[in-house]
Amino acid sequence: MKLPARMVVVLTGVSLLAAAFLAGVNLLTRERIATNKQKEIEAAISLVIPGARSSRKVYEERGFSVYAGSDESGNLLGWAVESVTGGFQDNIIFLVGADAELSRIRRLYILEQKETPGLGAKITDEKTFLQFWEGKDMNLPLALRKPPAGKEDLGPAEVNTITGATISSEAVLSGVTLSLDRLKKLRSEGRLEGEGSHAR
Amino acid sequence: MPDKTLGQEFVKGLWAENPVSRQLLGMCSTLAVTNAVVNGLAMGLAVAFVLILSSLFVSLIRKIIPNQVRIASYIVIIASFVTIADRFMAAYFPPLSKALGPYVPLIVVNCIILGRAEAFASRNSAGRSLIDALGMSLGYTIALVILSAIRELLGSGTLLGRPVLGAWFEPWVIMLLPPGAFLTLGILIAAAFAIERKARRRRSA
Repeated sequence: MKLPARMVVVLTGVSLLAAAFLAGVNLLTRERIATNKQKEIEAAISLVIPGARSSRKVYEERGFSVYAGSDESGNLLGWAVESVTGGFQDNIIFLVGADAELSRIRRLYILEQKETPGLGAKITDEKTFLQFWEGKDMNLPLALRKPPAGKEDLGPAEVNTITGATISSEAVLSGVTLSLDRLKKLRSEGRLEGEGSHAR
Repeated sequence: MPDKTLGQEFVKGLWAENPVSRQLLGMCSTLAVTNAVVNGLAMGLAVAFVLILSSLFVSLIRKIIPNQVRIASYIVIIASFVTIADRFMAAYFPPLSKALGPYVPLIVVNCIILGRAEAFASRNSAGRSLIDALGMSLGYTIALVILSAIRELLGSGTLLGRPVLGAWFEPWVIMLLPPGAFLTLGILIAAAFAIERKARRRRSA
């Protein structure tokens, strides 16, 4: 075979083989990867709405989803919002839980972040950051306390800033504020009701 | 042309031609993922998987690949194995896949793999290439584990996520940040060169 023909044949052959192989691998792993993502969300929802046994998506738009969490007998325990905010390095994807009446934050959980390890990455840390969000009043504007104070010294809508990571703390605060406002608006417009018809 | 025994072919990757401390290849992943031992180990194993299989494949088809398209063929082979490793991790070890983030796909451009394909596997038998790749992977993994152990210990006071230093220890956050990676790597490479020089002097004396 002439050289140019051989080059084309070999390279095409190698690429075709690779493509076939990868298609197979994708078939084998695709379902598992999707299940993993689903499981992660479900686990996170039961974290941010303590006691929730089942959840279903009741609203979705780009970068903003609302889940309703209920106990065993189907009573609504609260709402969980999955949303995204611009962090210091990259997007921070978080999940925030609110009680059924939308009066208090239940818990906050960070699903994905690429903040600076040791500084901004502390937004995933229970002790330095997440614990302060629990029970905050949703009728007051959320605010950051800087420098951080003891849990009992914080106001009813005040959370601690992470020392050395003001930008990351502010990013989470503004993301949560926006999401909760949107959640309240959706609810007052009645767009979260009729939940049954949106079951996934 | 083989002037080394198979044993020597394996051992050279551990020290004399260690990809990290002697060849200074694959620095990007080396610096970026070594802030915890788990990540360093996972990266080492992912690179090992890709390096061993790509070396084997490149060596097997080395005689039918025309010289002009060899690099393109190697990259296709390497990229395929990287994608397999990436999907496999996402399916079976989601937390690791998350921690390593974009660095798994970036194994494609890790110079160790293309370097071994071009410098070794394309000129040696499959068996010999396999041994070479095993040695290089082990050398790379060991280097990453040492680097990440130092950084995790000083940066978080933990090893493999378990606290080993008492409450008195104030973590050196800088060790987890990029400067900590450069500092540690620099000291490790200097130490490796110093030890090598001493050994050489003793041998010639």
